[in-house]
Amino acid sequence: MTYTGTVLRIDLTTGKATKEPLNKDWAREYLGGKGLSIKYLYEELEPGIDPLSTDNKLILMTGPTTGTIVPNSGKLAIAAKSPATGTILDCSIGGHFANELKYAGYDAVIIEGKAKSPVYLFIDDDLVEMRSAADLWGKGAHETEHLIADALGDVITLAIGQAGENLLPMACISSELYRQAGRGGIGAVMGSKNLKAISVWGSGGIEVANIRKVSAALNKIKREDTMTDDNMWAYSDGTPMIVDLSQSTGILPTRNFQEGTFDEYEKINSAAVKSTLKAKKACFACPLACSNYVKKGKTEVEGPEYETLALCGSNCAIGDLEAIIEFNRLCDDYCLDTISAGNVVAFAMELTEKDVHDFGIRFGEIDNFLKMPGLMANREGVGADLAEGVRAMAEKYGGGDYAMQVKGLEIPGYEPRGSWSMGLAYGTADRGACHMRAWPAAVEAFGDIDPYTSEGKAELVIGMQDDNAVKFSAIFCDFWALSTERMAEILNMLLDYEVTAAELTRIGERIYNLARLFNEREGFTKKDDYLPERIFKEKLTTGATEGKVLPREDYDKMLAEYYRLRGWDENGMISDQKKKELNL
Amino acid sequence: MNNILERSGFCLKALVFHAEKCIGCKLCHLACSAQNEEIFNPRLARLVITSCYDREGLIVDGQVCDLCLSCVEACPVGAIVEKNGRLSFLEELCTDCGLCVDICPNQVIVKKDKGIGVCVQCKSCANWCPTEALTFEEVKR
Ligand code: SF4
Ligand code: SF4
Ligand code: SF4
Repeated sequence: MTYTGTVLRIDLTTGKATKEPLNKDWAREYLGGKGLSIKYLYEELEPGIDPLSTDNKLILMTGPTTGTIVPNSGKLAIAAKSPATGTILDCSIGGHFANELKYAGYDAVIIEGKAKSPVYLFIDDDLVEMRSAADLWGKGAHETEHLIADALGDVITLAIGQAGENLLPMACISSELYRQAGRGGIGAVMGSKNLKAISVWGSGGIEVANIRKVSAALNKIKREDTMTDDNMWAYSDGTPMIVDLSQSTGILPTRNFQEGTFDEYEKINSAAVKSTLKAKKACFACPLACSNYVKKGKTEVEGPEYETLALCGSNCAIGDLEAIIEFNRLCDDYCLDTISAGNVVAFAMELTEKDVHDFGIRFGEIDNFLKMPGLMANREGVGADLAEGVRAMAEKYGGGDYAMQVKGLEIPGYEPRGSWSMGLAYGTADRGACHMRAWPAAVEAFGDIDPYTSEGKAELVIGMQDDNAVKFSAIFCDFWALSTERMAEILNMLLDYEVTAAELTRIGERIYNLARLFNEREGFTKKDDYLPERIFKEKLTTGATEGKVLPREDYDKMLAEYYRLRGWDENGMISDQKKKELNL
Repeated sequence: MNNILERSGFCLKALVFHAEKCIGCKLCHLACSAQNEEIFNPRLARLVITSCYDREGLIVDGQVCDLCLSCVEACPVGAIVEKNGRLSFLEELCTDCGLCVDICPNQVIVKKDKGIGVCVQCKSCANWCPTEALTFEEVKR
């Protein structure tokens, strides 16, 4: 059995740390990671709490594969109620924190309350220390990690930058400089608790029955199922590979989603990124190494990922790779989510060009573009407005039809007018517009399925949402396209009970429904499952998507079918029967 | 020591680490601890691969047993022996003096509660390494 069976609960208000047993029944029904952290939050958070108050909790959750030799098992789920959306929020962060936490003896950490003054936590096996972060507060996440390493040596750290301290709804958490729990303002939850960082060091290990046999079987799986053509794009290119695909299919967000192609795409595509590559880098236990450690001119970053190239590149009409790399590095250091940051800057550019409000920045202006992360993170000058996200900017100044967000979360790098299934995926993602809950573009816009029909899209999106929900709970990285059968095979090597692929799909469905139930309890309804008007009304004007919209009637149709197949009523409320069926 | 190696008439192979290929996944550490300690615990591996950032940027560094045989020489009770280019550890002889741990120039001998762990050339790490950053190559002396 690969759970440690122990949860560490830390109350920052009292400074007390206590150990408690992991709820085994919940672990069975929700596995770990995404699912189990949502379950704890659903049970422990009062409805309607302010996400930035002491009532919110921050959960770090590992899974049954964490710390083992299972390929691509290096992810950690970090969850809370989202300051950006008010929905449930779980983020997935790579690197080496999750395994270290498990080696320290914990499946999860639940952080409550608020410290009186800035602190950071050091979890050193049984020893849990709350240390003063007086010298760290006000510093970027990068320097914070370095200073903690100076003090504690060989530890792995989750840290926030100025954006988290200043409670930005787009504040992320960084680890090992360039890995992020990116979306929904998870970093602001840390900031609101006066929690600058969490460091961990673990001396223990994970025991597995027949470990040599299991390792040999897993090495075979790694060779024959992980390191295959289906997945090795991660090593050969990483996510920048998607730039060319999006450009050719007309779904590369450009100029705040005004167009779906970018004239200068060749300056920001995978070939361009590769020309700056210094090393490939992986998370713990990952043979795929999607990360590109790059240097260009005076700057360097582990990245930029596709989302950054699209939202901070083409979407801001920035065709200068060095500028994007520098913007990326700044965002990682201040702890700004690059998807949201790219969106707000692009929105400010459009509002300025349309004379709605003058933010002093226009499309393609590199110098101003590079000033934005600092202004936003510190809420200075125009940054004070941008810091609040596109929805709040639109409420203040207008332009709501092209404030590109769902439920308050800015839209990732796939234009829904050229990938209708992505539209549905954004609309029905549990934390607002997200491409990680389902990424149907892979088989639709980039594959063989017709992107411009509502036919079959609901089923496609639901299947992916449920599969990903269980995958992010087990926990596996998104980039190993493994089947639920394979997942079951692997879990059966680690657990003391048997699971089947069908049961795993059911767990995925349960998790997705519980997330929805959380949001339902917070007052979210059908109207929140809609996309910005631009997607429904404005025709794209270039490339493969020229003349395309996603007609509202088609979206209505997809959404209705989606609710029906989910077993929800016509308003998107989970039926009692479904709740019973899933034991919710 | 060279004499022993030459006498054995055996083509000696030892681990070599290629930093430029390493992605820092630590699968080698896990493979080693699983094979030799029957647990997944990277700190019990008989090699040390690091890939992390300091203020100057990415640092990739690795230490592996290169069969220098310093430990064999240092052990006062003969608890570490080399045969046909392979080390083995005789726990019943070990007095836990820690001399081998201190003397290993690569610092890859694991100190345990009882006894130590040396690289036994099992190749598990290299078998797992996804990028061929670990290879077995002839030892040149
Ligand atoms: S593919 Fe990338 S994100 Fe996934 S585990 Fe590997 S390095 Fe981490
Ligand atoms: S050869 Fe075997 S004992 Fe030596 S470092 Fe590799 S896995 Fe460990
Ligand atoms: S398995 Fe290979 S690539 Fe991974 S850390 Fe070890 S030497 Fe580096």
